[in-house]
Amino acid sequence: MTIQTKLPEFKTDEMVINLGPQHPATHGVLRLILTLDGEVVKHTEPVLGHLHRAQEWQGQNRTWFQYQALIDRVDYLSGMFTSWALSRAAEVIDGTEVPRRAEFLRVLCAELNRISSHLLWLGTYLIDLGALYGFPFYPFIEREKILTFFEEISGQRMMYNYIRIGGVQRDPKAEWFKKVEEFTKDFPKRVDEWEAIVTENPIFLNRTKGIGVLTKEVAQAYGVTGPTLRASGIDFDLRRFKPYSVYPELKFDVPVYNKDGDTWDRYMARIQEMRQSIEIIKQVLDMIPEGEIMSKKQNAGLRIKAGEGFAAVESPRGILGCYITSNGSDKPYRFRWRNPSFSNLSVLPPLLEERPISDIMAIFGSLDIILPDVDR
Amino acid sequence: MFNLIGSAINGVKHALGGLYQVKRGLETVAMHTWREPTTEAYPDKAPELPPHFRGRLALTVNPETGENLCISCRQCERVCPDKCIEITANKSTETNKLELIDFKIDHGLCMFCGLCTEVCPTYCIINTNDFEMADYTRSSLIYDLKKLTLTQEESAYYFAAKEMPLPKPKPAKPAAPAAGAAAAKPAAEAKPTATVSPKPAPESAKAPETTADKPAKEVEKKESPSTDTPSVN
Ligand code: SF4
Ligand code: SF4
Repeated sequence: MTIQTKLPEFKTDEMVINLGPQHPATHGVLRLILTLDGEVVKHTEPVLGHLHRAQEWQGQNRTWFQYQALIDRVDYLSGMFTSWALSRAAEVIDGTEVPRRAEFLRVLCAELNRISSHLLWLGTYLIDLGALYGFPFYPFIEREKILTFFEEISGQRMMYNYIRIGGVQRDPKAEWFKKVEEFTKDFPKRVDEWEAIVTENPIFLNRTKGIGVLTKEVAQAYGVTGPTLRASGIDFDLRRFKPYSVYPELKFDVPVYNKDGDTWDRYMARIQEMRQSIEIIKQVLDMIPEGEIMSKKQNAGLRIKAGEGFAAVESPRGILGCYITSNGSDKPYRFRWRNPSFSNLSVLPPLLEERPISDIMAIFGSLDIILPDVDR
Repeated sequence: MFNLIGSAINGVKHALGGLYQVKRGLETVAMHTWREPTTEAYPDKAPELPPHFRGRLALTVNPETGENLCISCRQCERVCPDKCIEITANKSTETNKLELIDFKIDHGLCMFCGLCTEVCPTYCIINTNDFEMADYTRSSLIYDLKKLTLTQEESAYYFAAKEMPLPKPKPAKPAAPAAGAAAAKPAAEAKPTATVSPKPAPESAKAPETTADKPAKEVEKKESPSTDTPSVN
């Protein structure tokens, strides 16, 4: 599908308009300065920083114990992953051995969290495309179940503070595992349902097929990661590329699309990823051993040896890295976060070039960006 | 000519395929009509919350005797990232112990991280299942000792639900003689719980090295007889 950018008879002036910062579809506070020629976007400039909360600086002014509780707020839809990246980086410095049961619990919670994050994306993405008729709340039914699981083990629905340096906070009861198992049995049927409604729907296809094509080269040049990258045909998943935790023992596929990824491919990549996460959860439920869950005492005097370390995890949005310098006191000396949403957002201007206004939200939504993660 | 017919056939195919897909979608939506509702009638029906839910903060009392469990060690005050706990304690001249005068928590500042509940050596400060704290002014979100303290029944409920070890009874020779007689009886019953989870003892024993806190030392002294007996047995 080509879009006629200029009508032959008359010439229009370019116009600059703002999208946001307070726009319901930007999932946070993002301002896009768009230069339009008629309906067609000529140039896009994202303006960041509206949600800047100095997360790195706050980390340097709080003790390790206090900062662990704060860090879920960086990416509030996948708090498990930020905690995990922080814990792994601290464990690298400290040389802490994490108990095996804790590693399995971490994988279990992280994969549940990945699903819940993708479910929220699925619901809101359909709203972004204009499907306000009720479908968006189907995924939320399942998401609610996952949040209830997390509420039971960690105490809150989104700010878990469950994965700690040295292990996990609380050992779930046997009934909890049973509930999760029931959920894994039911979940694939629900995915089939959503696919029946959305995947081949002609309106959805028209809005997404061939729109926002992200080529391999562009994706690599901008440092895009996560499902967005894999939809463009690059097989790069940290869980397989540089396995951490107990992922080497688990069997799972990483959905990769062998062509230039358009918006529909990115949708499919996430749907398939949810199915794979369920497979991982099933295996973890079978394999989880008994034993300790924490190897480091969690109290106000939590200290990490002097040194520096980096660790990264594959979050629902891409590679989430944490680089820490510790000087051995109860406060970290320096923090640095590598957030996937930041790089994924930077690819937006080339994707929006020469596209009509109606595609902006279809493309922007498909990147699955979360603004607090961009601005930190 | 062929081209035209071909594209017409294609168009019809496309339309029929689209219609079929829409039908599939609508069928699925229609099936949802027969499902049980997943929503909750919240204001009419209180939601079921797990025991470890991190809601409003409160202070427990001893479920048996009803006395306040706080020993004014100020660990919660120190660990709170938002600095929203304010403890006023006075050292009494007769018993040489800290007496809790007031305990203020600013729920407008609190981020419900639950760190204060994790460090508390006596399981005094806890997160309750209450989340309905909406109020008209910010100052009314600052809860004082009276508003924070739970009743005996509520404390008993939370001690059971959160699986916290019940407070150990005081040794037979405390400063207040009246409490001693009352505490002597449950001492025998409470011993098994002490053997199962002697957790609070090492925590309070560790506190002096890091914080050099006087009241914490006193706790250690005070609790040592009761922790020793199970290990001898
Ligand atoms: S829950 Fe967290 S923020 Fe609230 S009083 Fe306790 S330590 Fe402070
Ligand atoms: S940590 Fe517990 S015992 Fe110590 S002052 Fe706080 S509430 Fe009281």
